[in-house]
Amino acid sequence: MIILFFPLVIAYASSSVLLLLKAQKEATILTEQTITEFENVLQPTELVPQILAQAMENPNISYVEVLRIARDFVDHDPVVFGTCLAFEPYTYNKESYWYAPYAFEKNGRLKTRILGSADYDYYKKDWYRLPKLLGKPVWTEPYFDEGGGDTLMCTYSTPIYRVINGNRLFTGVLTMDVSLSGFERMVKNINIFETGYGFLVSGKGRIITSPKSVMNNQNILDLAKVGGGRETLVAIRSMLDGKSGFNKMDGLEAKKNPSFLSYAPVAQTGWSFGIIFPEEELYDDLYTFLKFMSWMFGISIVLLLFTTIMITRRMTRPIVRLVAATHNIGQGDFHAKLPVRKSKDEIAQLTNAFSVMQDHLQSYVLNLQETTIAKEKIESELNVAHSIQMGMLPRGFITPANWELYATLDPAKAVGGDLYDFFYLDPDHLCIAIGDVAGKGVPASLFMMVTRTLLRAKAIAGIPIAEVMQSINHELCQDNPNEMFVTFFAAIVDLKTGEMEFCNAGHNYPYIVATGEDIRQLKARGGLPLGVNETMNYTSEKFCFKPREILVLTTDGITDALNTSNDFFGEPKLASTLAAMANKNTKGLTDSLIIELKRFSLGAEQADDITILALQYKNSSETNAQPMQTVQLKLKNHLSELDNIAVNLENLSEKWNLPPKIVMEINLVLEELFTNVVFYAFDDKEEHEINLSFMLVDTHQLQMRMEDDGKPFNLLEKKVNDVFDKPLEERQIGGLGIHFVREMMNSVDYQRSGNKNVVILTKNF
Amino acid sequence: MEISELKTDQCVIIGITGRLDTTNYSILEKKLMDMIDSHHDKILVDCAKMDYVSSSGLRILLMALKKITMAKGKFVLCSLQENIREIFEISGFTNIFEIYATQDEALKVF
Repeated sequence: MIILFFPLVIAYASSSVLLLLKAQKEATILTEQTITEFENVLQPTELVPQILAQAMENPNISYVEVLRIARDFVDHDPVVFGTCLAFEPYTYNKESYWYAPYAFEKNGRLKTRILGSADYDYYKKDWYRLPKLLGKPVWTEPYFDEGGGDTLMCTYSTPIYRVINGNRLFTGVLTMDVSLSGFERMVKNINIFETGYGFLVSGKGRIITSPKSVMNNQNILDLAKVGGGRETLVAIRSMLDGKSGFNKMDGLEAKKNPSFLSYAPVAQTGWSFGIIFPEEELYDDLYTFLKFMSWMFGISIVLLLFTTIMITRRMTRPIVRLVAATHNIGQGDFHAKLPVRKSKDEIAQLTNAFSVMQDHLQSYVLNLQETTIAKEKIESELNVAHSIQMGMLPRGFITPANWELYATLDPAKAVGGDLYDFFYLDPDHLCIAIGDVAGKGVPASLFMMVTRTLLRAKAIAGIPIAEVMQSINHELCQDNPNEMFVTFFAAIVDLKTGEMEFCNAGHNYPYIVATGEDIRQLKARGGLPLGVNETMNYTSEKFCFKPREILVLTTDGITDALNTSNDFFGEPKLASTLAAMANKNTKGLTDSLIIELKRFSLGAEQADDITILALQYKNSSETNAQPMQTVQLKLKNHLSELDNIAVNLENLSEKWNLPPKIVMEINLVLEELFTNVVFYAFDDKEEHEINLSFMLVDTHQLQMRMEDDGKPFNLLEKKVNDVFDKPLEERQIGGLGIHFVREMMNSVDYQRSGNKNVVILTKNF
Repeated sequence: MEISELKTDQCVIIGITGRLDTTNYSILEKKLMDMIDSHHDKILVDCAKMDYVSSSGLRILLMALKKITMAKGKFVLCSLQENIREIFEISGFTNIFEIYATQDEALKVF
């Protein structure tokens, strides 16, 4: 910006110098012109008296003649209005001390008076005294001649000499009175700049005339001293010294306005003429010009800025659009429209590059979406398989008071092939099992489900476990194109005696842990893993629990667990960990083992399912303070048995101290289940037996078990949840019974065991 | 289960005493259906002495409610025991039946 203003400053500086020079020239010329005009006027005024004075030196020339010539001159000259021939005392008129005939114009007519009296002693006047003294013509200071012309005037006085007897004697003076009104007009007509003016000063500094009436008759030196500074004084003194020049002044007339003064002497008179004009007027036009230039300059800059912005915008608009579009793409809108560029500049190239990238992104995302959908589908199917697998695992760890059971399956990321299971063959016989299908994924999971289903179907009270295993093995081998197999450990525990009959089909050896005793394993092999050899004969072993002993079944997910340094958890560490936890209950032991395993693996990804089942025989039922109490009912498939159920329940409520509300709820649930069985379970008209047992498993927990040999019916699979908030017209009574069962019991479990539907209910109170 | 019947100017009051279950719901069913068929469409069932009801019993009540509502009559219940009320709540029936705490309160709606 400063650079832009530089030429303007230069222009201003040079212009002001030029202006000053021009003004100086103009003022000087005007000054000279004016002075020339003055001199033109004054020249005859001086010349005529000089010629007459010259002539009068000759004694033969008469004064009267001279006076007549002078009068004619007055009559014709525009500025001279009076002439006087003043004589020395008694020179012309021997009788009169004063004698001065004076001819003057008044109201256009020429009149004559004789001057000189006691009141008007012209011998003392300058116009008489000075030429006599100096012996040469003199211009007097301007004065107001009251006695003579009654006007402001100047007088040119020429001494007159007469040569008498060879002596040149001073005889008197010849005066020409010049009216200053003529000069006033001339001076007033001078115009320079706005308020510039001319003025005339006498040799002593008195202002003879100027357009400013206040200045007239003042001494210019006085004005300069009051209104100006040093520069003014220098200029005025130079002017009064009769020099000519052009000076700057710092004020006049009591005003400190800087101004310029051009001056020159009016040669013969001793006067000076000056022209004054204020500095600001000299530069007025320049200022105006400068103001105009500044405006133009400002407007130009605004226009320039505007244009620059417009051009910049126009140039950057495509980039801005491109940025907006790419921003949208960045936000995930891969179909964001890119701006169209017809030109072939860099922006167009950039846009094209983005367009190509966008296409790639779109197709990539499309691919990714398809892949993801496919993957999600597989994953969701895997999840379904996984939840089915996990859902099959029994979770109600209900045992008589002197036993404790706990099991957990911690699945690896994918669907695995581990399983555990336990169920009651009858109130006294618990079947437990653990297995590990070789391989992982859905096939392994399906194989595991088949194995578990077979176990549930084949394990029936009274049938030795070896036979059950043989039977399962046979079934698995029947149709096994993938040559899958499962290592399996199954056992039937007599809860009354603590005796266990078990068969180990190629599974890890179980541990027996008890406080104060060495940990040991049940190292008995009952045969190859299931599914390997159809003709395999399985054998069972027996083991008898001693009080406090815990049977721990595991899968190789524990021993084969790796940490980040690729070390196995291993059998010795498993044994030592279990030994250290012998004093815990089954849940505590299981949880601690899982924690220990997690600590060992240090965040390494779990490669295989981890399954643990722990069964503890706390003490023999003989020493049990509160032996498990069981009531078994054998009912016929007839509705009249409902009364039987109600009566027995009433009896139990007294015996086991059950609250009436609980009794009513149990009664209601049992009625719903029993009615269902009677109405829907049997296609024939024959009599069937329905077993109903009540077990007080804890002081505040009751377990009911209902068995029928009717058609398979899993009440857990029946969907009833969505009918209970519908309006009256859509309400149906079906499903309400099962809804009651689910709502009123604390847990409901269903198993198809052999040819039987088994429903196990628990109710806390 | 015993069923009482009291015909007033406003409505018929049916009182149920004892258990309403699968073994006896048909008695109530017959009773209610007969009444509806003979154009008694303002019925109050007093459950003060009913101490047990299963889904079979509820089915009859629902059926009666549907029929009477269609006939633009009124079918209301009153004086449910606490346990019975819970069963109604679990089944969602409290939302579709008009149930009053006392018989007097119930009679006002006819």
